[in-house]
Amino acid sequence: MTIPSISRRGFAATAGAALIAPPAARAAATNPIRKLHLLSETQAADPEEFQSAELVAQMWRALGLDVEVHAMPSLQRSSLVWNQRTKWDCTLWRMVARPERSDPDELTYSLFNSATANGGYDFVDYINPAYDRVSQAQREAIDRTKRQKLVREAQAIINEDQPYVFLVYPKKVFAYLNSVWSPSSMVDQDGIGIRNFWTYLKAEPVGATKDMVVNASVSLNSLNPLYIGGEAASWVTELIWDRVIRVDPHGNPKPWAAESVTWVNPTTLDMVLRPNQKWHDGQPVTVEDVIFSFTAPGEGNMAPMYKPFVSNIASVTATGSNTVRFVLKAPDAGFLTASLGKLNLIAKHVWEPRIAALKQKGLNAQQEQPAELIGSGPFRVERFNLQQEIVLAANTAHWSPPKMSRWIMRVIPNAVAALEMLPRGELNFLSDYTGDPKLLVAMAKRDVHVSAHATTSLGFRFVALNERRPPFNDVHFRRALSFAVNRELIAAAAFEGFAVPANSMISPVFPFWHNPSVDKIRQDVPLAKKILAGAGYRVVDGRLHYPPGVKETLNGA
Amino acid sequence: MPYLLRRFLLMLVVLWAIASTIFLLFRLMPGDPTAAYIEPTFTPAERLALLHQFGLDRPLWQQYFIFLGNLLHGDFGTSFSYGTSVAALIFGALPNTLVLAFAALVLAYIFGVLAGAGLAWTRGTWIEALAIPVVLATRALPDFWVGMVMLAIFAFGLGWLPGGGAAAAGVFYPDLWARFTSLDFARHLVLPVVTLAVILQGLPLLLMRSNMLEVMHEEFVVMARMKGLSEWSIMLRHAARNALLPLVTSFALGIGAVIGSSVVIETVFSWPGLGRMLVKAVASSDYPLAQGAFLLIATALVVMNFAADLLYGLLDPRVTHAT
Repeated sequence: MTIPSISRRGFAATAGAALIAPPAARAAATNPIRKLHLLSETQAADPEEFQSAELVAQMWRALGLDVEVHAMPSLQRSSLVWNQRTKWDCTLWRMVARPERSDPDELTYSLFNSATANGGYDFVDYINPAYDRVSQAQREAIDRTKRQKLVREAQAIINEDQPYVFLVYPKKVFAYLNSVWSPSSMVDQDGIGIRNFWTYLKAEPVGATKDMVVNASVSLNSLNPLYIGGEAASWVTELIWDRVIRVDPHGNPKPWAAESVTWVNPTTLDMVLRPNQKWHDGQPVTVEDVIFSFTAPGEGNMAPMYKPFVSNIASVTATGSNTVRFVLKAPDAGFLTASLGKLNLIAKHVWEPRIAALKQKGLNAQQEQPAELIGSGPFRVERFNLQQEIVLAANTAHWSPPKMSRWIMRVIPNAVAALEMLPRGELNFLSDYTGDPKLLVAMAKRDVHVSAHATTSLGFRFVALNERRPPFNDVHFRRALSFAVNRELIAAAAFEGFAVPANSMISPVFPFWHNPSVDKIRQDVPLAKKILAGAGYRVVDGRLHYPPGVKETLNGA
Repeated sequence: MPYLLRRFLLMLVVLWAIASTIFLLFRLMPGDPTAAYIEPTFTPAERLALLHQFGLDRPLWQQYFIFLGNLLHGDFGTSFSYGTSVAALIFGALPNTLVLAFAALVLAYIFGVLAGAGLAWTRGTWIEALAIPVVLATRALPDFWVGMVMLAIFAFGLGWLPGGGAAAAGVFYPDLWARFTSLDFARHLVLPVVTLAVILQGLPLLLMRSNMLEVMHEEFVVMARMKGLSEWSIMLRHAARNALLPLVTSFALGIGAVIGSSVVIETVFSWPGLGRMLVKAVASSDYPLAQGAFLLIATALVVMNFAADLLYGLLDPRVTHAT
């Protein structure tokens, strides 16, 4: 299917027909659009999302649509959206901020390339061969300038086709006690905020307290270098297990456990291992460990969550006592960030026998919590209780040791309690605040010892439009829906000002990759109505009807 | 058939019915556990592998018989989300919940019995007129609200007690005994225990008061008065002891019920116990863990009910189990 690319100007010029038609003249020839169901998280679990859904529904009703918001618990909604793809109309959804998403590949390719439509993350079934070509080409473009052009082109296509109605890039707010941690040592990572690896590494105590006490709002599922056991778990694992590459505060890949990483050609990459690195048990980190770390996740079903990140590796071989060569099956510009910056380096002497034992039991690595957690990262595990507290101690033998003594994560599900525990010193870094950000900012204004810091996220909130079901398969309809939405109002009302309007999968916090031309979208209901009228839609008795001759059929619904 | 055996068999039937209901309820709930794994790299093949890993690709009847068979062997299965045995998870969290629940229950019953007896004794006075509405109000208040108010006053307002958790950050205890007997643990325990006790005290208080009102008109009370005993002695040593009996049943049943009602309190006070684990298990469709936790709570209720029946017979010779 080829979707014609139509500019905003083109719509305005060609859409001349009136949207409101005399009832008698039109009703017989056209069919009304059914009631549309907009799915959302429940108000209690995610008030911002629920209110956004209510506002979007209200804005769409202005076009003559009958829209109903259905709030359901996240797992129930995910299950419906993911497993019953023909049975829902549209849903609020989000992409969360993660350092590896600083590279545009995942958001450009996995979300919209038709290769991922069948059961994958292109769950709206957006299929556009022109987009496929561009998103594939950016993946293969090792030249950064050439890739920038392609990534921006991809955003322009998405802007034309509006498979998602992007809403906002939320602002994440974190806070800490400046009487405990030096403000100048906090690192604000682009699109992530001050809760990040670099802050934990560089945070400098200003007084006697040398332990950083952070919080998580949910208990952790697992601490396992071969399993992504949730967001909070990933904040811990990245401190325990080092990686070949770290995403630096500006979103760029930075050699870390590697002294250098060099592209030999678009499919060959050489890395030089940083010397004198040690595992937490005192054993040296070797090239054999590096090779094992990138081959073990690809074997069978041992680490299903990490397997996709090594699937493009044809071979990993030692080319010297401290050098490793990666050969890829196909060029992959995001490889440094998405694979070398994602996979945890694991000790062969620990994991080889462990994997053999797991295989004997018929289990994979994510099915069992390892008792002994040995990495080579800047923090080592002192003890952990997944429901209660994780205590990490600074690895003073690391080549870049942290300045704090210990990093302690407490599980505090009560958001109000977590907030109030900060000025009392029961926490000294509020790393996971799920409550009202205004309260946090107000606290920082009241209490000179509390500093709050808001950062625009690289993640975003959006409405996913299911193209398997009419009328969402019509690009005109989708564009009209997008123009009907007031993103500024959603940012101000639903997010209380802690968000900025969005119209792209690449956040403006990465100006190199972000296409500024797509930012011009503003609410324009008259234009939305013109777009619909131009495409043949009519309002009859206050209800939007399909163009003449179009009858609604829902396959598999 | 002897009463005890019949009662025991009946208890097993009840537990089987509960286990079966729990098993079915979770599978009838919308949403499936694999939805928690959705990622941009998540594929249909991976979903099938997960379903296989969880044993959810088998027919329901097969899952049911495997579940029952494992239960008979004391095996609750492996948690979907933690990848750890359910028994280890539950018994890891249970001590915290038991300490919280038992301490709150004992506090609530000590207060409830004494205050209930006192209120019966002061019937018709301004004390009763003031106290009864207060007691009824505490029974009606939502537990999360009481918890938040307690936190606002005693933790965040006055700063006397910690705002959550079961220990101060980073403090290490070599074993459970060292932890439970530490001042740090006691400080963290106070607020959740008092909150739960405030919520629980209404039942024993009102029960004790009404029993006392009945007992106060009995002849032995009149006799005690005629003997010239002090009012205090008549109330506590004579009347209250006889009014206590129905509270034994209520206390025994309360032990089972309070474990269930600690769910909200544990969340408000970030108390790492079974209740919080249960909430997370249900939210993430972790069937084995949720089943195990629910089954444990149900078993506690059923067993304590059984114990209450037996205790009643022992304490009151007029109650017999003859058929």
